[in-house]
Amino acid sequence: MAKIRRLVLDTLKAHEPNIIDLANVLSELVGVSSVNISIYELDRMVENAKITIEGDAISFEQVSHTIEDMGGTIHSIDEVVAGKEIIDDAVTLQG
Amino acid sequence: MRSLLEAVSYFREYDKLANISEIARRYFAMNAFDGVLTIIGVLMGNFVAGVSDARIVLSTGLATCVAMGVSGLWGAYLTESAERKRDLDELSKVTLTDMTNTRIGRASRAAIVIVAVVDGLSPLIAALIVLLPFFVAGSTDDLSWAYYTALGLALVTLFGLGLFLGHISKGRMIIYGLKTVLAGVVSIAISFFLGVEG
Repeated sequence: MAKIRRLVLDTLKAHEPNIIDLANVLSELVGVSSVNISIYELDRMVENAKITIEGDAISFEQVSHTIEDMGGTIHSIDEVVAGKEIIDDAVTLQG
Repeated sequence: MRSLLEAVSYFREYDKLANISEIARRYFAMNAFDGVLTIIGVLMGNFVAGVSDARIVLSTGLATCVAMGVSGLWGAYLTESAERKRDLDELSKVTLTDMTNTRIGRASRAAIVIVAVVDGLSPLIAALIVLLPFFVAGSTDDLSWAYYTALGLALVTLFGLGLFLGHISKGRMIIYGLKTVLAGVVSIAISFFLGVEG
């Protein structure tokens, strides 16, 4: 099975646990080498967070379970990179 | 040792998520204060009625302690359960996810239990401290020293609670201590005059 090397997720989460705690827990998962989380929208009770995860073999099940356990929900999977190395999306006429 | 460290780590996490220590601290101060003032009422009732049997003072005092403990435990459990369930349901509704089995849900359940225990134990322990002289009084004829010592202990406990509140507010601890002692003195004075008048 191909190894997932990068995941970009759009999530909605409660304010607590905050993104520092979430990043810490996600970065400790097996196969994950780095995590980047940024908040792009804040509401009274929740916030929207873009989560970027890179690693050698990311387990989507573990990632989604961790996010849900920490009071978040995945809205969409915005980018996935799998295979032997990380590549960015190719530039096409459409963008 | 490892499980203890894990428990501490869980508590820290849950505390951050559910604000446990702040709420428990508030309940502790409020209910210990209630406990001391209630037991002052019981003591003054016995004192002005001329009760000179330590067993009677202890049985009424302990019954009051237990009632306060049960009341605190039950009351806090039901109130906290209702409040936290509402918050969790609201969060579940907003995120369209069931929060019951998440860290937030677990922290919420831990908070209910911890706060209920603190709420139940704080008036119980505070009142038991005040009753201590009657445990050692045994069957002595003159109980007046036990009454005075118990009331003194009550005021000291109130002063301690005041210091604790002053420490939390980072205000002047002595002023807080004197304010809580004043409540005890007022309570003792009113009970005394009511008893004398009656």
